[in-house]
Amino acid sequence: MRPLFRAIKWGIGGYLLGAVAAWVMAGASGPLNGPIEVTVGFIAGLIGWIFGIGGWNNWGREWFGLPPKDDGKDDWRRYFRFNTDHKVVGVQYLVAFIAVMGIGGIMAMLMRLELARAGTDFMSEETYNKVMSMHGILMVAVAVAGILGSFGNYLIPLMIGAQDMAFPRLNALSFWLIPPVAVALLSAPLLGSFEAGWTAYPPLSVLAPGDGQLLFNMGVIAFGLSSILGGLNILTTVTTMRAPGMTWGRLPIFVWAGFSASLISVLFTQYFAATLVMIQLDRIAGTAFFDAKAGGGTLLYEHLFWFYSHPAVYIMVLPAFGVSLEIITHFSRKPLFAYKAVVGAFLTIVGLSGIVWAHHMFTSGMANYFHAPFMALTEAISIPTGVVFLAAIGTMWKGRIWFTAPMIMATGWVFNFMIGGITGIFHADVATDLQLHDTYFVVAHFHFTIIGGSIMGLLGGTFYWFPKITGRMYNERLGKIFALWVTIGLNVVFLPMFWVGVNGMNRRVAVYPADLQRVNEFISAAAFLLGAGFLLFIGNLLWSAVKGPKASDNPWNASTLEWSVSSPPPHHNFPLLPEVVGHPYEYGRPGARHAVLSTTGATHG
Amino acid sequence: MRREWLVVGAIWAALTALGEFVVTTWTMLPEGYSRESHVVNEAYVLLLVMAVPVFAFMVTMLGYSIVAFRHPGATEDGPNLGNNKRVVWIWLAVTAALDLAVLINPGFVGLRDIRGTQSADMAIEVVGQRWSWTVTYENGATSTTEMVVPVDTRIRFDVTSTDVLHSFWVPGFGLKVDAVPGRTTQMYVTTERTGDNADDSRLRVQCAELCGLSHADMAMTVRVVERAEYDAWVEDLKNNPPAAAQQAAGATATTAAGEQNDQQAGAAAGQEG
Amino acid sequence: MAAVTLEAAHSRAELLHQPRSNKLGLWIFMASETFLFSALISARFITSGVQKPEDLNQALAFGLTCVLLVSSISAYLAEAFIATGHRRAFLAATRVTIVFGLIFIGGVMFEWREALHNFPPGTIYGTAFFSLIGLHAFHVLTGVLGLAVVLNLGALGHFGPSNSWPVEGVVKYWHFVDLMWVIIYPALYLF
Ligand code: HEM
Ligand SMILES: [Cu+2]
Ligand SMILES: [Cu+2]
Repeated sequence: MRPLFRAIKWGIGGYLLGAVAAWVMAGASGPLNGPIEVTVGFIAGLIGWIFGIGGWNNWGREWFGLPPKDDGKDDWRRYFRFNTDHKVVGVQYLVAFIAVMGIGGIMAMLMRLELARAGTDFMSEETYNKVMSMHGILMVAVAVAGILGSFGNYLIPLMIGAQDMAFPRLNALSFWLIPPVAVALLSAPLLGSFEAGWTAYPPLSVLAPGDGQLLFNMGVIAFGLSSILGGLNILTTVTTMRAPGMTWGRLPIFVWAGFSASLISVLFTQYFAATLVMIQLDRIAGTAFFDAKAGGGTLLYEHLFWFYSHPAVYIMVLPAFGVSLEIITHFSRKPLFAYKAVVGAFLTIVGLSGIVWAHHMFTSGMANYFHAPFMALTEAISIPTGVVFLAAIGTMWKGRIWFTAPMIMATGWVFNFMIGGITGIFHADVATDLQLHDTYFVVAHFHFTIIGGSIMGLLGGTFYWFPKITGRMYNERLGKIFALWVTIGLNVVFLPMFWVGVNGMNRRVAVYPADLQRVNEFISAAAFLLGAGFLLFIGNLLWSAVKGPKASDNPWNASTLEWSVSSPPPHHNFPLLPEVVGHPYEYGRPGARHAVLSTTGATHG
Repeated sequence: MRREWLVVGAIWAALTALGEFVVTTWTMLPEGYSRESHVVNEAYVLLLVMAVPVFAFMVTMLGYSIVAFRHPGATEDGPNLGNNKRVVWIWLAVTAALDLAVLINPGFVGLRDIRGTQSADMAIEVVGQRWSWTVTYENGATSTTEMVVPVDTRIRFDVTSTDVLHSFWVPGFGLKVDAVPGRTTQMYVTTERTGDNADDSRLRVQCAELCGLSHADMAMTVRVVERAEYDAWVEDLKNNPPAAAQQAAGATATTAAGEQNDQQAGAAAGQEG
Repeated sequence: MAAVTLEAAHSRAELLHQPRSNKLGLWIFMASETFLFSALISARFITSGVQKPEDLNQALAFGLTCVLLVSSISAYLAEAFIATGHRRAFLAATRVTIVFGLIFIGGVMFEWREALHNFPPGTIYGTAFFSLIGLHAFHVLTGVLGLAVVLNLGALGHFGPSNSWPVEGVVKYWHFVDLMWVIIYPALYLF
């Protein structure tokens, strides 16, 4: 644990040092009229933290010609330091993001408690805004990096027959950027007003008093850096590290999904970073990006912001497409239907995602001639998305479907994500969106897409790969109950929200018209039940990770490469690079093989 | 093989019929007060009508597979059917056709209808500021507690903001437009039906873009009245402008929850202070 | 015994992939950075069109542009020298490049002092000017730091014809930063 304590010390020290230095310098030079201490302090603290956790010993020393030093033994403590093993990084991500999801979930419960009554009974509007903003940004972070960080890191090298990621140290870096981000986001409300939601629209985010917004911006920028580096690593790994014979046409579909999502995160995340930098500059250097009086404008922000944040929804769902199709294929024991079309669909989605952003701005007052083209482009995304659904049902058709917990989750994913997708059309259509935008209809829609589309992939994948990662089996019965609980609960909680939305309840409010209270009571009650269900999930996994029965190397009898090594996999995955000889999903063809592993004789090779 | 598809087809047809019946008879969207809200409602129902067969198809396929193809354990493989080009092409063609249909109607048609002509019988200026609305009528009278508009009139709202983004939304009118600092945005509404906030909470101006602390309370009641009544009302408003203090106190009390809820009223009063 | 060979196999695999990975990774990184610059450049055109104030220091900006372009040549030479094993020439060329970079940063600081009076950040042109140039100067600074690191390592005897990737990477990055200036310069001064 030494690196962790060192990191905390250096992080706090860095923060103080940076803040004081900034204070001294800003006092001397004048043009900076705002609290740059927070900004500089965060950057210095971040660097201190990264070096402390092991960035210096593993990496920084090399820049000065010193030999890198190792930080300790490979026991359980390896999870608490800068570790370059992609499997360790994957587990770090998984555990961290499930924890973040728990915090965000508690926020959701608090919000539903408040919303059970029409007035402000439980918390003030100020508190509600803070809790809502916090829930939003935490959950967005979970959806963006949850699957890519955990399963992306853990499984992509295994699935393509590589021994690690292309840049193992970069990989460790992208994980260790996350804890300071969490600290920054969670402490932002303490520094004063923090009420602009995760979208941080100016001028509100520029005018809001207190420094909470500054810390929020810095945290999100650091998070963006982490997801850019993570994406860069995945793109490079998939391109250069594939085992002999692992052609692009033989990649498991999850690898393709991670690859596509990484393309988006590497390119578009910069726009979010840029917009937050602009807010930061408006606040601390007095620039006029969003100051209408000086000639700036908020429409600029909305365009740049959504230019990232629409593609970001595909960073959230594409990896989950991959996980769910993977699960459906193996548990239907049939080849993935229309593999090539699905890959084409993923790449089409990547391309289209970059040119539809203004569908979030139909009511923003932007020029009318933008409406029709953005409606058309947005609706066109339903075509490649439809191919993914075709693959799901086409694979299940005539399969030998084994309904384990992950398979239930994946089937539920098809159903729930479909509701999210269909209601998305109501937002793409200008006429209906003018009414539905910023109402609870949106809230329901994006929870169906984010929970149904992304989180259910994360949950399903956690069950599916649990035996591989821990070497133990989770409790199947509890897992099944939980999978059904989420699939059905999501509908019970969020379907009524469509109704309150069309009946005039707008989003991001703690107070609403009294005639909508009955339905909201129901929603809140259902939400508590849904939330409570997650205890089942956490309990099951914690218990099983320690006490569960030992799992075999391939409990699902699945065909992809990660199942051909031991559970958990050995340090370098494959003693010798496997030779890939066929498609990954050749179920039903006797004698077909995906890969040949030469484990014996490895030592002589 | 053939029987399988017959069963699927029958279930699909039945579910579709049921679904269409539900979405066309159950009016989920309450009736609005403007021509535009009818466009919205029609578009909404049309989208539902088009979604039902798709939804029903997916549910049928999922449901049938769940029931008919279950097989505990990984002991046996399904058939090696990895691809079927014809199915993929048909699927693409059907989804593309559906997409095109949605795009044309309600898409382009709805867009044209909801926008309507860019001419109006009267113009009303709306200014959003944290956390209240100021409405200025053509005769120069202003109000901050209640917005009254005449029925059967095409009104242009000229909306702007003095501080942060707000959004001018009257749920009963079926439209909203953002109030943007430094810009004037316009929203055309053709009123068609009289109504009063006292009977329908959707007749209120509601801020729909997060604007900070009291965003939820940034609301004012709306009344749609006969032309003569409106004329008398604005005239009266012009001649006897309500005391400013009185106006301010009312501005936040309009969220319908406020009336019955002491705490809410207390909170609203607190924000004013 | 077995463990040793495993490690060996592992590092062999790494040797096989690493050069390609490094190159590709750098290209992806530069593509990503291009998006960052494009966000601020488009902000410049969206908020202030092509308007620019009269009192821009055109002569200084032109001079700095030339400095940066020449530094690209010396950076290229540094890379070529180390790849052919001429260590002393490599060190000299790297030093020259660093000096050019520092001159550029000094020039920017000088220019900012004037600019703070003529068009402060609170004006719409000042917003674009300070944010874009600031972003770019920050990149130049990181480039200088990168050059300093390879210079130091090179002086310690690292790198050679078969092992010049770090130099190559830093120099590629330097070219990239120059290229961004070639876009920013007209966007702010010429249009
Ligand atoms: C039981 C589960 C959940 C419940 C009951 C719930 C409830 C809510 C509520 C009440 C809001 C506030 C809506 C508003 O006032 O605009 C909200 C916002 C939001 N939720 Fe959830 N939520 C849940 C899970 C999730 C998950 C898993 C995610 C994503 C991974 C998520 C993402 C968001 C986002 C992005 C917002 C928007 C925040 C904003 O407007 O800035 N939620 N949720
Ligand atoms: Cu979008
Ligand atoms: Cu408002």
